[in-house]
Amino acid sequence: MDTLAFILTQCVNAFSQAALLFFLGCGLTLIFGIMRIVNFAHGTIYMAGAYLGYTSVRWLGGFVAALMVAPIVVGVLGVLFELFILRRLYGRDGNAFLMVTFGLALVLGDAVQVVWGAPPLQVPPPAALAGIAFFLDEPFPVYRLFLIGFGTVMAIGMWQFLERTRLGLLIRATSQNPDMVHALGTDVRVVRSGVFGIGCGLAALGGVLAAPLVTASLGMSLAAVVDAFVIVIIGGMGSFLGSLIGALIVAFVQVFGNYYLPEAALAFMYLVMLTVLVVRPGGLLGKEE
Amino acid sequence: MKRFRGLTRRGVLKGAAAGAAATLAAPAFLRETMAQATGPIKIGIPCALTGTFAAVGQVTKRGAEFFAKERNAKGGILGRPIELLIEDTQGNPANCVRKAQEMVERHNCRLITGVTVSSEALALVPKLEEWNTIFMSSINGDGRLTAASFVPNFFRANTSGPMGARAISLFLRESKMQKFFALGMDYAWGHNSVQVFETELKNASKEFIGKVFSPSGTKDFSTYITKIRQSGADGVYLVLAADDNNAFLSQAHQYRLAERMTMLAEQLELVSVKAVGEAAIGLTASSRYPFTLENPANAAFVAAFQKEHGEVPDQFDGEAYHGLAVLAQGIEKAKSIEAEPLRKAMEGMVHDGIKGKVTMRACDHQGEQRGYVVQVAKTDKLPHPTLNILKTYGADQITPPCNKMTYDN
Amino acid sequence: MRGWIILLAVVVVLAAAPLGLPLFMMTLLTEALILGLMAMSLDLMVGYTRLVSFGHAAAYGLGAYSAGYILLHSDTPVLFAVFIAAAMTGIVAIAAAWVFTLATGVSFAMLTLAFAQLLYAIAFQWQQVTGGSDGLAGIPRRGGPFGFDLLTSKIGYYYLVLLCLFGAYLFCRTLVNSPFGAVLRGIRENENKTRALGYNTRAYKIGVVAIAYALGGLAGALYAPFAGFTNTELLFWLFSGQALIMVIVGGAGTLIGPILGAALFLLAQHQLSSVTETWAIYFGLMFIAVVLFLPEGIWGTLMQRLGRKTQRV
Repeated sequence: MDTLAFILTQCVNAFSQAALLFFLGCGLTLIFGIMRIVNFAHGTIYMAGAYLGYTSVRWLGGFVAALMVAPIVVGVLGVLFELFILRRLYGRDGNAFLMVTFGLALVLGDAVQVVWGAPPLQVPPPAALAGIAFFLDEPFPVYRLFLIGFGTVMAIGMWQFLERTRLGLLIRATSQNPDMVHALGTDVRVVRSGVFGIGCGLAALGGVLAAPLVTASLGMSLAAVVDAFVIVIIGGMGSFLGSLIGALIVAFVQVFGNYYLPEAALAFMYLVMLTVLVVRPGGLLGKEE
Repeated sequence: MKRFRGLTRRGVLKGAAAGAAATLAAPAFLRETMAQATGPIKIGIPCALTGTFAAVGQVTKRGAEFFAKERNAKGGILGRPIELLIEDTQGNPANCVRKAQEMVERHNCRLITGVTVSSEALALVPKLEEWNTIFMSSINGDGRLTAASFVPNFFRANTSGPMGARAISLFLRESKMQKFFALGMDYAWGHNSVQVFETELKNASKEFIGKVFSPSGTKDFSTYITKIRQSGADGVYLVLAADDNNAFLSQAHQYRLAERMTMLAEQLELVSVKAVGEAAIGLTASSRYPFTLENPANAAFVAAFQKEHGEVPDQFDGEAYHGLAVLAQGIEKAKSIEAEPLRKAMEGMVHDGIKGKVTMRACDHQGEQRGYVVQVAKTDKLPHPTLNILKTYGADQITPPCNKMTYDN
Repeated sequence: MRGWIILLAVVVVLAAAPLGLPLFMMTLLTEALILGLMAMSLDLMVGYTRLVSFGHAAAYGLGAYSAGYILLHSDTPVLFAVFIAAAMTGIVAIAAAWVFTLATGVSFAMLTLAFAQLLYAIAFQWQQVTGGSDGLAGIPRRGGPFGFDLLTSKIGYYYLVLLCLFGAYLFCRTLVNSPFGAVLRGIRENENKTRALGYNTRAYKIGVVAIAYALGGLAGALYAPFAGFTNTELLFWLFSGQALIMVIVGGAGTLIGPILGAALFLLAQHQLSSVTETWAIYFGLMFIAVVLFLPEGIWGTLMQRLGRKTQRV
């Protein structure tokens, strides 16, 4: 394999991984930005997305349907959780949210096992994306290329949504000064419900997209929470762009770390996180609280 | 895919609760370290019923419950019914020790089997002497359990990791493939098996190009796949379990790795084969228990199991069943469930069951048994691929020397 | 005064427990007290200083691995090993806390998480010392001179744990009621104001983190010879999260609450998982219910209600 092919291969590996991590981190950071909630259940929600993806593929017969249905179902569940549980807790300190999301993670995780059972489930990529493309004699799975494309489109879409639309403006304003937004006549509670739903939906979307790579399994949630935390911490809690940068950094550290120094790759990721926090306590693009 | 969740557990638990109440009601001086001489024979199974390893634990439970049901219908062991105490450990050693301790100290259960993760087993074995308890491994593959960490009350009915590695290595000796790469889970079991494989290749004058270990819980294997492809090996040896295994196989399939080189696995579960579908076809693996084994006992077992559960038994269904069968035979031979007579009875005991002839050798309590190399292949008879047995190796060929986890030749 | 009588009564009941409880319950109780000690140590940070930590597993794991290593590789009696391990954890924590306190709020929490995960990764890789994924197994409870042999028995070890917890509780209580504790509460309420009053708040924070880690390390060090093994799970973030939940469920800022929270956490998980396979659902609902209906945690809310009643009287 020549150098160019090698670099290209590794970049595809890293960017496709970053795309998946981005959905995970972006949801977490949005929720934190607006609600100041560190969501312990984020990994479990991601896992639930993968399982719902499995069922959608089975029942509705298409991966595209799964990409729509799973995030919407999970998003609606997220809104309901906000309406009936979280809403009672605003004004309380962060501890309350930690415990309530920890409880949610336990309940949801077990519910997934009750509904879908313990064995891992196959979610095959759609036939159109199952193929392989050759370039410089090296194989590139079409699904990975799709992940990169889809991730890019979604990242730009989210960014435009936050920057250009009125709703996006509201979200950004609420994250900076909820009292002001409230005083201007917008019901902040609605924004919070919506954002919690969107954050959960994004995690679920990440779960569906990851399923063809890892199968839908009960072990998905545990690793995902840490990954999501690391991304968001590096990028800066509450910063959308930060979650994108965090995802890219984590993906590249993992891909190249695993290649050159597989023994230290795990520790290296946490070292990067520590270093970033020491240099910039709020993360690369975040503000310190 | 159909799912089978515990139906009999409630009944077992009721029995357990009643037993516990009786134990608690008895005056303290009557509750000694002696195992109960009458009443049901209690066998403790602290396994991972929820969490990351739930798929393995649930299969273990299914196989064990099947054995207990079948045996109890025939009158149990020594005329006493079997009572399984199945408890969830989530695959965490701390929970496992706590649950096992409760089984011993509270329910007066002196027989333990079906532990899911090797680290759980390693945490348990130093306690066996104090507990006066026999631990019959049916899943744990870590070579250390019958070597450096061996204790007299530990027995292993299952094929160990090194034995699996040995079987596949012997298979490779006869193949045309020359150069190999290894990918193992960064876990004791992974290191252990890769080491055996490496030594075996050297003995067979084949080339070992390199190895890499992935942290357990790795989700993205693309870099490892790149590395394996670059190595230019003829075959890649995989020591991966559960989710990691499924993720690797799914992704390797997307990279068409199998077109480049032969994929060889240290162990194989049907759960994985079902979960990755097409991606498993053609995979060559060492199997600890392939349901396709041809012997009368296994034919009867598979038929009865299929009738009960509507699907063929998986690797750990078979291993859990087999472990209990060995234990039951030992108890009948010893006419006791006390650790000492039971240990003596099982040392050197020959068991002829679903895995053929297995000798529980006296020196390190490893079950000497045959090794199987299988290949995953499509079939019309089942809703999922089947396991064709390519080669069977004799117990003398794959069982390591006493208290060792490597082979002389 | 009444508080002291109640405390004394609780200690007497706990000390008499081995007379009435079956052996197994004693094992479970010992573990509950060890976890209680860890949760109480975390409360110094979370409840009294509002330094939320997502990485207290680092303290517990560091203590456990140190004690395990010492006991496996030397002839040190268990009593000394445990205290050496606790001291080592505290010393490491001073350096770590110096880094943690560069940040505040969520960033502080994340730094503690990063540190714990780093230790987790190291424990996984540094096989010669930590045993890698297997951890250290067969850790002995070695007795020693001056009648310490009593500690090798289960009941003897229970008393050691009980004494450590009681001693640590008295220490923490004195600490939070001392001028040092007043500064910690000042930091909790308003760090800038406290700093403006001339206190070097960072030094105080480093101090409280070191003490909390040393006591958390003591808990871990007691666990290693109790369980006979250490494992990477003891350093995993999930355990840190659970420790935090123990504090909150019992009531942060009460010292007693977290001990109760830890005991409840352990016993509820252990018992529920014996009754049903879907135990996690009930376990999770329990936490959600506590958050909704007992805002100050179990002990905190109880004390608040009692306090209100006495005031009315």
